Amino acid sequence: MGPVESAAAEDGAGGLDRVHRVLAQPRVGMGPEAVAVDVRRRRAFVACSRSDAVTAVDLVRMTPVWRAGVGREPIPIVFDAPTGRLFTADARSDIVSVLDAGTGEPLARIAVGAYPAGLGYHPRLRRIFSGDTAAATITVVDADRLAPIGVIPAGLGAGSIAIDRRRDRGYCANFMAASLTVFDPVTLRPLDRIPVGRGPCKVVADPVADRLYVANSLENTVLWLSLADGRVGGSFPVERAPVGLAVSRDGRHVYVCNRGAGTVSVLDVRAGAESHRIRVGYGPGDCVIDPATGRLLVSNAGSGTLTIVDRPWLPGPEAPAGHPAVGRLLPGFALPDLRTGRIRTTREWAEKKYVINFFASW
Amino acid sequence: MWESRDAAREARHFAEVWDVRGTILLDETGAYAARLGVRGVPTNVLVDERGVVRAVGVTAPADLDAAVARRLAGPRR
Repeated sequence: MGPVESAAAEDGAGGLDRVHRVLAQPRVGMGPEAVAVDVRRRRAFVACSRSDAVTAVDLVRMTPVWRAGVGREPIPIVFDAPTGRLFTADARSDIVSVLDAGTGEPLARIAVGAYPAGLGYHPRLRRIFSGDTAAATITVVDADRLAPIGVIPAGLGAGSIAIDRRRDRGYCANFMAASLTVFDPVTLRPLDRIPVGRGPCKVVADPVADRLYVANSLENTVLWLSLADGRVGGSFPVERAPVGLAVSRDGRHVYVCNRGAGTVSVLDVRAGAESHRIRVGYGPGDCVIDPATGRLLVSNAGSGTLTIVDRPWLPGPEAPAGHPAVGRLLPGFALPDLRTGRIRTTREWAEKKYVINFFASW
Repeated sequence: MWESRDAAREARHFAEVWDVRGTILLDETGAYAARLGVRGVPTNVLVDERGVVRAVGVTAPADLDAAVARRLAGPRR
C-alpha cells in the first residue's frame, strides 16, 4: 500500500473503513471522456465530447466551476503543470485546443492529423503527441511554442499514447490495426510495431512496475507488457468494452473503465487478478487517480457525470449476480426507425428469436 | 441506438463509418436502455420467441455464439 493509500485507509472514528465510497457524481456535460487533474489548485478537468467543451471541477467542493468551449468532439485532455495549460484533441475539428487551466480562456488551436482521439505528454521534452485516428499518424506539438514540429507514421486507428519517460519511448495504440506503434519521442522516428488484442483503446505506462497496460476493448481484456523488453507478460479478463485505464501511484492497482457494463474493474497487480468492481455511471469512458487523495475520478459518457470514488482500492457492496432483465419479458418499446422515421414496436418482432444490440457513437 | 445529441445525424454517421446494417432504432434519452437495466454500450440483449430476455451483455463474438447456441439447443420453456 502506498503512502496515500495508507493515510486514507483509516477512518476518522479510529476504526477501519474497509469499503470504497462514491462521494459525489457531479454533472459535467454531455459525453464526458478523459479527465486530468491539477493537484495544486485541486481541480479536475473533463473533456466533454458531446458538449464540445471542457468542464473544470473543484475537487474540494466536488462541483463544476467553469466550462469552456473547444473544437468539435474533444476526447483526450492533458494538463501541463509548468504552464498551467490544458490541451484537448478535438476529433471532428482535427485540432488540438489549448486553454488556460485557471480561467478556461482559449489560447491556441493547433492543426493536427484527421480525427485526433488520443494525446500523449512528455513534460521534460515539452512535447504533446496527438494520435490521429483517421490519418494513422502521430502529430508532435511543441508544448511551449504551441506549434507542430513533426509527424510520425503509426497504424490505422492511432489514438491513445503513453510515454515511458525513463527510456524515452512512446507507445501509440492503433485501434483498427490491433497493434502498438513504438516511437522515439526525441528523434520522432518509429521504432517497432507490437501486435496486441483487438480494439486497443487506451495505453498507460506504469514506471513503478515498469509495465505498459493496454485495454483491448473488443476482447474484454487488459494486457500488460514489460517496458524493459516489450514482451507481453500476461492479461486480465475484465467486463465489457474496457476503454479507460489508470494506475495507482504505487503501481499496485489498475483501474479499468468497462464502458459496456457501467463498472470499473480494480486489478490487484500483485495478485494478478481483478479484486473487485466499482459501480459507476453509464458508459464510463476514462478515469484518473487524484494524486493528492488517491481518489478515483471516472467520467461517464452515458450519464454526463464524473464519479468521485474514495478509497477505490477497497471493495464495496457486492454486485447482484446475473442481470435483472434475464428471465423476464422484454419491456415494450415504440422507437423511431433511423432510416424511415416510422415508429417501430416490440409487436413486430413477436414470436421471433432476435438480438438487440445497444450502441452509441460516444 | 442510445444517442443524446443530434441523434439521427450521429447514428447515420456511425452506421456509415462502421457499416452497420439492419434496423436501427433511436433511443435518444437512453430511457429504454435504462428500463432494461443496460448501463453501457455495447450491450447485446438476446430475446427468445416468447419475448423473454435470455442473455444481457455477450458482446464478444464467442460469448454471443455460445448464448445463441444454448438457446437453440435448450428445452423450450
